[in-house]
Amino acid sequence: MNDNWLKSNTFHYSKFKDLNLLVAAKEQKNLSISLCLPTLNEERTIAKEILIMKSELMVRYPILDEIVVVDSGSEDDTIEIAQAYGADVYLADDIFPQLEKYKGKGENLWKALYVTKGDIIVYLDADIKNIHHRFVYALIGPLLLSDKIKFSKAFYDRPIATGKNKIRPTGGGRVTELVTRPLFSLFFPELTQIIQPLSGEYAGYRSIFEMIPFPIGYGIETSMILDICKKWGLDVIAQVDLDRRIHRNQDTKSLGKMSFAIIKTFLNRIEKQGLIDLNKNIFNEMIQYNLVKNEYQPDIFRIQAIERPPIIEIPEYREKFNIPDQILELKGPSPIDRHPIDRQI
Amino acid sequence: MSKYLDSIPSFVETIKSMKETIITNIVLIGQTPAPTFKEKRRSKVFMERLAESQVDECTTDGYRNPLGIIHGASEKKPPIFVVAHLDTPFQIDMVNYRVGVNTIKGPGILDNSLGVGILLSMPEILRKLELRFESDIVLAGVIQSVGKGNLRGIRHLIKTWPTPIRGAVCVEGVELGRLNYYTEGMTRCEIKCDITASNGMGDYHKPNPILILNDVINQILKLRLPQRPRTRIVFGQIRGGISYGKTPQDATLGFEIRSDSDRMVKSVFNDIKDITDGIGHEHDVALKITTIANANAARLNFNHPLVKSAGAVMKTLGLKPVSDASESELSIFLSNKIPAVTLGITRGKNQFHLNSSMKINPMFKGIAQVVGVLMAIDSGICDE
Repeated sequence: MNDNWLKSNTFHYSKFKDLNLLVAAKEQKNLSISLCLPTLNEERTIAKEILIMKSELMVRYPILDEIVVVDSGSEDDTIEIAQAYGADVYLADDIFPQLEKYKGKGENLWKALYVTKGDIIVYLDADIKNIHHRFVYALIGPLLLSDKIKFSKAFYDRPIATGKNKIRPTGGGRVTELVTRPLFSLFFPELTQIIQPLSGEYAGYRSIFEMIPFPIGYGIETSMILDICKKWGLDVIAQVDLDRRIHRNQDTKSLGKMSFAIIKTFLNRIEKQGLIDLNKNIFNEMIQYNLVKNEYQPDIFRIQAIERPPIIEIPEYREKFNIPDQILELKGPSPIDRHPIDRQI
Repeated sequence: MSKYLDSIPSFVETIKSMKETIITNIVLIGQTPAPTFKEKRRSKVFMERLAESQVDECTTDGYRNPLGIIHGASEKKPPIFVVAHLDTPFQIDMVNYRVGVNTIKGPGILDNSLGVGILLSMPEILRKLELRFESDIVLAGVIQSVGKGNLRGIRHLIKTWPTPIRGAVCVEGVELGRLNYYTEGMTRCEIKCDITASNGMGDYHKPNPILILNDVINQILKLRLPQRPRTRIVFGQIRGGISYGKTPQDATLGFEIRSDSDRMVKSVFNDIKDITDGIGHEHDVALKITTIANANAARLNFNHPLVKSAGAVMKTLGLKPVSDASESELSIFLSNKIPAVTLGITRGKNQFHLNSSMKINPMFKGIAQVVGVLMAIDSGICDE
């Protein structure tokens, strides 16, 4: 295994602390940048994320051009709060209303590509308790300061909030260590250099995101890495150490469902790549058991492996971003360095 | 006086337009834990935020109080201080604030993340308001202030500051409308009863530290305290024991003696010490009184120009000044003959609890009043 990537493409957030440098690079490259926050009932944390990014990366340093919230139908005050603090808020169901509607983080991220305007999109989970603007500028840094890197991904210490005002210093990333890393080790050892492949914070050029399919649910992070690597190679990816991220702890059953979706996405990808041959269709139901009144009762959770196609295949998208239909006929590696203005040719 | 007073109401909207920056400062500083004596991380964030706002100087004093200085136009005028204590009484390793449409909730938000957040926002607020002062404005986040900190940070800062100080504003989270200009003499004490060293017989024969402290409390309550100078004893804390049915090894009583007269505080303390020694002797247990913190009684007169001007600023903003004795940094300024007041920024509840919360909207008036009082001091009202 070639482990050069880990040395050359891994950064610490402090490397990008000089925000004036990022502003200058952004201006020189004539780029716009969008921050997208996918939400579902995030009233406890959404305001902080919007406020801090707006204050530090819009008002103080003009790095972000817009903050967009794409919501899956929150029943708490997420939408009201996000609007009050000046984010552009969209309901996922209202974007491409003619298409069948699905719920899931991947669905929100995919639809965000249509409503955002930036050449670079930063995706940030909306449940970060210790939010700081480094979560965004450190992901943008490699994209602006390197001509080679087109996608950057976060990793961090992951203390878990275990109770009221208490944290446990380690223990995060269980699905990564028990599911994703073993699968990567078996089929794509080079990808094990990505410390936290499931981190929910990443940024990339639109020209990358628009060319890859998006699973609607938990498989999005895994598929994104596999697809980007396959199309453009590992060298276009960077990973950035964001220090510490405190997030909600999830119970084992929830992590089981997440693992199910990730394994399914992974199997789907490696089958397409001809690495395995499944002789029968795999099932769509995650079955867990609850002990109710001394009886085990199945708790069945249906997880379909639905994927949105590369958004560039959607006519409304091409129309909005002035992309000629002929782009779909291009063969070979996708033109990731294509600037939006070139699309009008 | 009216020259600057007229402009103050218009500040509110301008300050409101900086809502994101102000709340960001409050959240970023408040979510960095800073129990008394462990303020290092918060001090670092304080300095980083001030540097980010391009304050003219950013430094620490010899005691590691972090400071920011906004240079004034005159080199001859002494500086004006704006202070907020950096430390919190909570020994917790994670602070998570929840921001709503008009509230921020979380431990220490009122005591004193809000006050410190305002200090951090001050360079940008003054820039946005296009205000330039004659005096330097010193923004001081003082450490080791609350509880056993005993105001060590501010004591050191004032003691070692090389020049005279023109005046000071102490910033506290709540309540908007407070105007403190006098402090009580105060001694904060702990009485600890410890039986671990007593004879090796079973629990049945051992004296009970809780009952001994009960004796102490009863004896203290028999003390005659004068109405003038006003003097009182506040019992604030009692702890001891591990189980319903076991005699505890120790028990502790925490209380404050407060009076308008330092001499009376000392006299009452001596009385309580006699009570403690006596009961300890009679029960043959280790019963010890310890002084945790103290502050001197000091005051400005009601007709002091700073008090009058601060009251006028508040009335201009539609606030009714409410005065009471205050502890904290104010007492150190006043006992060093430096004119100072303490102001509250907003309205809120559960100030000293983990679930404290503040209202966002009243805060903008609270900040405008601080700016107004700084303008008053800078106009020379404290110079005589």
